Amino acid sequence: MTARAGWGGGVVIALAIWSLLPGGGAAPAAAQGVPVGTAQNAVGTLVVVRTDGIEHRLQGRGSLPLYEGDVLRTETASQALIQLRPGMPVALNERTTLKILSRWDKTAGTIRILRVSRGGVWAKAGDGARQLEIESPAAVAAARDAEIDLKVAEDGQTALTVVQGTAELGTPFGVCSVRGGTASVGARGTPCTAPQPANAATAVNWKQAVTQ
Amino acid sequence: MRGIHMLELKRTGIVALALGLVAGCADLQMKEAEDGPRSRVFVANESSNTVTVVDGDSFQVLATVDSRNHATHDLAVSRDGRWLFATNLASGRLSAINTRALETVASIATGDRAHVVTLTNDNRQAWVANIGDNTISIVDTGTFRILGTIAVGKGPTGLTFSRDGRFAYVSNQGDKTVEVIDTASHRVLKAIPVGTNPHFLVLGPDGRIWGTNTGGTDIYVIDPATQDKVGAINVGPAPQQIAFGFKGLQGPNAYVTVAGLNRVVVVSADPSNLRILEQIDVGQRPNGISNNREGTRLFVVHETSNDLKVIDTGSSSVLATVPVGRKPIRVVYHGN
Repeated sequence: MTARAGWGGGVVIALAIWSLLPGGGAAPAAAQGVPVGTAQNAVGTLVVVRTDGIEHRLQGRGSLPLYEGDVLRTETASQALIQLRPGMPVALNERTTLKILSRWDKTAGTIRILRVSRGGVWAKAGDGARQLEIESPAAVAAARDAEIDLKVAEDGQTALTVVQGTAELGTPFGVCSVRGGTASVGARGTPCTAPQPANAATAVNWKQAVTQ
Repeated sequence: MRGIHMLELKRTGIVALALGLVAGCADLQMKEAEDGPRSRVFVANESSNTVTVVDGDSFQVLATVDSRNHATHDLAVSRDGRWLFATNLASGRLSAINTRALETVASIATGDRAHVVTLTNDNRQAWVANIGDNTISIVDTGTFRILGTIAVGKGPTGLTFSRDGRFAYVSNQGDKTVEVIDTASHRVLKAIPVGTNPHFLVLGPDGRIWGTNTGGTDIYVIDPATQDKVGAINVGPAPQQIAFGFKGLQGPNAYVTVAGLNRVVVVSADPSNLRILEQIDVGQRPNGISNNREGTRLFVVHETSNDLKVIDTGSSSVLATVPVGRKPIRVVYHGN
């Protein structure tokens, strides 16, 4: 009994010391380990491609686990709704392709990232672990306590419309702070445009069918 | 019984190691407080997933930093020496390492098979070439966000910037070219044919761009004024990386690691008169090479013998051999 208690204490101390060692403690998010969300609804078909190339399809309502590294794809006339942990709803418009990633940061923890190569997404982000970044070939939108819509054209041009709250649109040539009811555009080789008033409600009308 | 005893010994060892490392870091900070900042040499160990930190003056190993990723391959150090960025081929990620704390503080998803990293001249962005995606990721070094990507040719493996920062140069091993990118528009301006399996690229002391054709036997020089290849010379099978230095009055010279010869080949750094001056025997499969600020010391890492050799350029002799991690690929020096 005493020996076991001693071992337990020793293990705790060893673990505490191990966490101080380089490489000890929390590791960055690993691919395909723990689900990072679920696909909950698809109008038409949502295709999920795992990192090993295995494909899954969701049609209608369901609960398909999503992992880091998954590529999600909708084709013409398809939309999808996913829920990222710990509580970030994201809708994919038709003809959208995105990859689920993350960045680990010692200060901020794990930041969920969606890398969109084409199409459109709507997302609602929160604070702390519920903040979200959406990357495109030309820009990155960072949302915290904000509801946003992002459209990515074939040439990478990226339009951010903020429905509620404030989000940042970053490009290699500068960052724009975009408030609710305004929109900014980032294109390759140019700074983001000054935010202009936008009809945010109209901009996110497309998601009604899949979020209902 | 024996197993438990061994576990006890291991636990004791871990505790001693941890306390030793903590004490070592404290000693290091005290020493730097007394003597001022010291120069450092950083080595990327691909098969250990670590970066070895070596004192650039005493050649003692100061620390080993876990990259928190897999297959640590290339390195770029900030001008002030406070940040080190490391690509990780297998993870497709860039590690951001705080060189004062000697720890990885961020892991950034760039792209498939993140190969090389170079900092823009103002150090505000890290550009990462992803061989698997045929892209360059642009990372904000302040926020660690990916600000954009640039599509390039097949298999980008080398990356550097011109002196004025107007152009980025990307070697594409699949296309056998070096692409010139306008950093103001992020458009590819030109693809320059250079040779077989081009790999490493570096800005030379006269503002020209130097590269190795690792699949061949030659190195080449590109002039940013014309965006043309203005010189090439055979140095031996599988040239890897290039550094620059002086041998007394002679120089600047280009020092090329040639893996197939187990030598550093010394070439005059005048593109109009490229010629081999000397060959220095080093360890097995030399790959990374870096020079100190004065150009009097070379730091060479060897993939097979897992060590770093310090070479005095004045005498072309090895001053020290320092064991590092498994399969060291890249070495960078930062002087204070």
